[in-house]
Amino acid sequence: MSTDRTAGKHASRERARSAFTDAIKLSRDTGGPVAKGDVILTVKDLTVRFWVGDEWFTAVDEMSYQLRAGEVLAIVGESGSGKTQSSMSLLGLLPATGRATGSANLKGTELVGMSIQELREIRGNEISVIFQEPMTALNPVYTVGFQIVETLRTHYLMNPRAAKDRAIELMTLVEIPDPADSFHKFPHQLSGGQRQRIMIAQALACEPKLLVADEPTTALDVTVQAEILKLMRELRERVSAGIILITHDMGVVADMADRIIVMKDGVVVEHGTAEEVFHHPQHPYTQQLLASVPHLAESVGDEAAQGAPRTLIEVDGRPVPLTEPASGEPPALLMEDVAIVYPKQGRRAEFRAAEHVNLRIDAGEVIGLVGESGSGKTTIGRAAVALLPVREGRLTVAGHDITHASLKELKPFRKTVGIVFQDPGSSLNPRLPVGESIGEPLLLHEGLRGKQLSNRVEALLDSVHLPRAMRNRYPHELSGGQRQRIGIARALALNPKLLIADEPTSALDVSVQARVLTLFQELQEQYGFACLFISHDLAVVEQVSSRIAVMHHGHLVEVGDTIDIVTRPQHAYTQRLLSAVPVPDPDEQRKRREMRDAIIEREHLVS
Amino acid sequence: MVRFIARRLALALGTLLVLSFLMYGLLEAALDPLIDLRENPAANRDEMIANRVRLLRLDLPWYQRYFSWLAGFVQGDFGLAWRTMQPVGTLARGAIATSVQLVFAATVIAILLGVTIGVISALRQYTAFDYTITFVSFLLYSLPIFWVAVLLKQFLAIGMNNFLNEPSINWPLLIGVAVVAGLFWAGALGGRRDKKLKVFAGAAVVTFGVLVGTLVSGWVLNPQIGIVGIGLLSVALAFGITALFAGLNNKRALYSALTTAAVGTFLWWPLQFLFYYVEMSWLWMLGLLAVALLVAAGIGWAFGGPDRAVSIRGTAIVALLTSVLIFADRVLQTWIPYFNAPEISGRPIATIGAHTPGLNADFWMSQLDRWTHLLLPTIALVLISFATYTRYQRGAMLEVLNQDYIRTARAKGLSERVVIVRHALRNALMPLASIVPVDFITLIGGAVITETIFSWAGMGRLFIDSLYGQEADPVMFYIMLTGALAMVANLVADFLYAVIDPRIRVDA
Amino acid sequence: MGEGQEVEGLSQGQIVWSRFIRHRGAIGGLITIGLVTLSSILMMGIGPLDGLWRDQQIRSGEVLNGGRPTLTLPGVHGSEFAIGMHPFGQDSLGRDYFAQVMLGVQTSLFVALVLGVVALTIGVTVGALAGYYRGKVDMALMRVTDLVITLPVIVMGAVLGSLVAKLPLRLNAGPEVSAWIRENMPLLLAVALGCILWTGLARLVRSEFLTLREREFVDSARVAGASDFRIIVKHMLPNSVGVIVVNTTLLMSAAVTLEAALSFVGFGIQPPSISLGRLIQENQGAFSTRPWLFWWPGLFIMLIALSINFIGDGLRDAFDPRTKKIPSARAMAKAERQLLERAQTENKEVSS
Repeated sequence: MSTDRTAGKHASRERARSAFTDAIKLSRDTGGPVAKGDVILTVKDLTVRFWVGDEWFTAVDEMSYQLRAGEVLAIVGESGSGKTQSSMSLLGLLPATGRATGSANLKGTELVGMSIQELREIRGNEISVIFQEPMTALNPVYTVGFQIVETLRTHYLMNPRAAKDRAIELMTLVEIPDPADSFHKFPHQLSGGQRQRIMIAQALACEPKLLVADEPTTALDVTVQAEILKLMRELRERVSAGIILITHDMGVVADMADRIIVMKDGVVVEHGTAEEVFHHPQHPYTQQLLASVPHLAESVGDEAAQGAPRTLIEVDGRPVPLTEPASGEPPALLMEDVAIVYPKQGRRAEFRAAEHVNLRIDAGEVIGLVGESGSGKTTIGRAAVALLPVREGRLTVAGHDITHASLKELKPFRKTVGIVFQDPGSSLNPRLPVGESIGEPLLLHEGLRGKQLSNRVEALLDSVHLPRAMRNRYPHELSGGQRQRIGIARALALNPKLLIADEPTSALDVSVQARVLTLFQELQEQYGFACLFISHDLAVVEQVSSRIAVMHHGHLVEVGDTIDIVTRPQHAYTQRLLSAVPVPDPDEQRKRREMRDAIIEREHLVS
Repeated sequence: MVRFIARRLALALGTLLVLSFLMYGLLEAALDPLIDLRENPAANRDEMIANRVRLLRLDLPWYQRYFSWLAGFVQGDFGLAWRTMQPVGTLARGAIATSVQLVFAATVIAILLGVTIGVISALRQYTAFDYTITFVSFLLYSLPIFWVAVLLKQFLAIGMNNFLNEPSINWPLLIGVAVVAGLFWAGALGGRRDKKLKVFAGAAVVTFGVLVGTLVSGWVLNPQIGIVGIGLLSVALAFGITALFAGLNNKRALYSALTTAAVGTFLWWPLQFLFYYVEMSWLWMLGLLAVALLVAAGIGWAFGGPDRAVSIRGTAIVALLTSVLIFADRVLQTWIPYFNAPEISGRPIATIGAHTPGLNADFWMSQLDRWTHLLLPTIALVLISFATYTRYQRGAMLEVLNQDYIRTARAKGLSERVVIVRHALRNALMPLASIVPVDFITLIGGAVITETIFSWAGMGRLFIDSLYGQEADPVMFYIMLTGALAMVANLVADFLYAVIDPRIRVDA
Repeated sequence: MGEGQEVEGLSQGQIVWSRFIRHRGAIGGLITIGLVTLSSILMMGIGPLDGLWRDQQIRSGEVLNGGRPTLTLPGVHGSEFAIGMHPFGQDSLGRDYFAQVMLGVQTSLFVALVLGVVALTIGVTVGALAGYYRGKVDMALMRVTDLVITLPVIVMGAVLGSLVAKLPLRLNAGPEVSAWIRENMPLLLAVALGCILWTGLARLVRSEFLTLREREFVDSARVAGASDFRIIVKHMLPNSVGVIVVNTTLLMSAAVTLEAALSFVGFGIQPPSISLGRLIQENQGAFSTRPWLFWWPGLFIMLIALSINFIGDGLRDAFDPRTKKIPSARAMAKAERQLLERAQTENKEVSS
């Protein structure tokens, strides 16, 4: 029976394959078939300019490179470096105000200055793109199957049956579960990772010569990212396309790239093999960039892993027990069997975001809370500052029991906590000068006004290393890093005992992130507050916290000293999470990858 | 699905009930049935007041009267227009049909025109065309409709009637129209300067030619389409619709659309006999249309190929439009007798009423009579809501064109037609469902004014007259009817939204 | 930026203003409406103050030259600019039409202003409460909004207009109160209409608040200890100012045409107050003999409504952070030529 089915499946796959290879190509086939190692793309002096205000702004300046089939070229840079526009110009997909000059030669065809009709035959056929946001990059009103079929039928004369077979074949290739069924699903019915797989399937549909992946994993969780990267690595062995990988994440680069181009402000500052760039960076910017990237388990020597790991973990559904208090002082945060529930809204059923959470943060201690999106880590942070009510259990902050506190009772408690949010653009009121934002807690709790308030605000600005004059500026006039410093200053205004830092650096470029993290550590020593540092990025958390708590599906699964969590995790989820984090070092990343495959293999065997 | 509809229905009925109570109370304060008697110097004034109080039971508190009114209303007794002593039900019967005709025609035309222009305006963002459309729509927003209606009556109707009696060619006007048409098409189609020039010249010349042709040949005096006209127009439609929905390189779709056009044209001849020997009615018309659509679907199916659905969609639209052409042709055949009828006496564009009283007309001529009466009020109504749709659709389209999936569609190598029609337009039309009910209510309100000016015996007129006459029952009937229509419009919109947007789950 | 030096940053308001004054249509609208307002107030006075126009009482008199307007414009129908005795002509009783139209303009502007304020107050309060508290409060307030929105405004307006006219009777008021009510008919009518036109604004403010509530600065204010009232007034309202201002202007332009339409059908402004809509209604029959009596009021309604619409459009663009200055097709073509030239000169430099 099962062999029958496999045989049937095989037959249909054969049929799809032949339907595709027999199909008449409507669009042109530039330069004929390619073999691995052929040069497919030669870019020379590619310049992209934008008409901004009343002049031409150069976004990419005289970029040159070559790409061979089967090779992955990573273009790395921080936001605004021109890394995306340089590749979009190859397809003529620049915004209306953008113009490209120079030359980009795809197997003998000049792409720059090509007419839109000719470009249309190239797009999706010879060059295809994987975009960053799989949610918004797929049309919400058509099934994913239709969207793949559409690509196929644009470039090939195929009947719908054959195109469907080929689409299902592609979906099988990118490991979509139950492809025949998923063919009829709409994008919103798939998870983020699955949507990105659909994007990849769609990009591969016409067997392109060049694949541009624009931040393909940035919007995804780290474990999903690892799976997508694995898929892409497998695919590059099977299809003979050249891949341009655009990313800001050095870990992803280390995982995938053969050659690397580093860009800064539109200029290529470094160009070399992965080996050269990672181990012998020439340009100071590259060196600084690499130094800024937090590196997981970097500073850990072998001697650290002595004795049995002292982490507490969830076993058989029994929650993680509380840690022993480190001192007699009341803990800054104490959660005892806490459950947090989002109440029923209209007809949307209530949602238990976190359950059975036991967590202690001692005074002056920094605890990292890691987990993927939807794991409930932000919920914990918001409950700790009484933005969300606690349904079950007991929540104590610096001696105040706020489990069922009324609004009035909360007032003295507010003085003891501060919170820093992820998005510095959203966490400051755009209509208030930042000085007023910083001063608001002082005004409300200490009734400070006029000169006194002004002095305190200036002192706070000094402590986050911002010029005092900045107090009169509006948030939109500041850079992301400056805004986050303001956010920190505001949170520290009342000298809180507990600070909640909710992904404070996730929206920042790496080099800015590095500076903000240094500042954070400095301030923590100076003020001595306890902190719950929430992040999805294990490497960042490792850098700042003494202990780490890991969350998964609304439960804490493991709590322990940073060094133990990072080097010797006990819970299966923690292990999986850790192994998924790419490290910015090609050799080490290869080792980690193998380790990860082994872990997944083992889990499969167990289950 | 059933639960969703039931919930919405219950909510709508509840709202309507509360509305009726509040409005009854409000009308109690706003109307004074004794107003004409208060100042009356007659000797038996007190007796007359007492009589009227008894008639309208004004001695009871108003909420008691409300409940007895409500009890009557739900049983189908809508009350009395006490000045004429006519039951409201009788008064309203003709009025509803009249108003519905007016509002429905105006809504359909305004949506089609407004959406098309809005989409084009968005596609040509920041061009002279876009700026002109923006200005025109602002102008239309700001025009008082009653003022426009009076102008239409004075200029369009009287001018056209005069022209029909003494046709003369106004060359400057013709040239002006031709230039405007040229500018419109050049702006709408866009492109480079040389293309624009060509389009401008072409459109201007064609417009001018057509206008002069119709005037010189005397077509205006005896407008006919004929089998030749139907043939040409339907073939042109077949090309246009295929180009828009399937692309001209889809040969199967093109051939099936052309076949449908040909079949429709050849059917013209036998249909003339049918129309001659059998007295027609709307039931017949709908039946014939259904047959036409079935035949068209058959043709689309027969051409087959992998994209049957696309072909069938094209043939169905062609069949629908060709049927409309044949219908219009038959109606226009009654033009001469209509024009010469004693009730019309050579002034066919009507400014008053919904139909010509005492006209001896068959099915076809009564359609023509209805068109000439609908013309002015419909233009007036379309003018007010056209601007809303244009602005709204332009905004929605611009919003969608900025979405990531449009970039994806371009990156896939789809042609601009597919990107716009299949990916952008489909998404940009969805939010329309939320403004159609709102605009529908506005149009009903606009109908109040237009009916007053054009003396249509419709619901809006009934409302205004009854409010003048201090008659509560007809006003309440109008309010309940309008409220119910608004609820239905909202319900339909919600339902449509749920059907066309896969992200909305109806069963929740 | 100068370190340590007190630098005043550009506030949001300044940015909006600088963008607004670049919008040609909006400035045109602003100037037009300014001129219209100024001339109506200067000429006909305001309240008890008399204006400069010679006929403040609108007396009837002898009809000169068939009541034809004496205003002449050079090049149109005269050799030079002249105002004459009756620039807009006279009506059948020989009353000066210019004075009547100017008073009508005052009524229109007054109604638009009062209505705007009333609708703004109700709409913002309802929308803010519904959007901030969500849940049951939201449900209840939105049901009320649905109720008001069900009937066309002109229908509700006619009923309310009729009610305002009956007020002296309903209140059983003495002669003084009745006289006051009659005097202040435009005010009462505007307030009544304001009570039905707020719904659109309420819905917009609500959805704006629903979005703003999710923004982190609101949470951050709450953690800082701000009360609900402070959060609504100090943090959320200033951030929805764009939506509110834009829609209030659009509402006011709708109010101008609504008032005119109501007065036209007889349920709006009653004598002795003058309304543009009523002027049109009164002189409708005289269209074929004295068309100017029909043209002037309509023209001014249109002018006022159009100006307000353009101001609203300018404000929308100015407040919308997404509207960047996108070059027109022509500017883009020019820029492209410039780029081409630059490329050529560079080539020359290379070759030479």
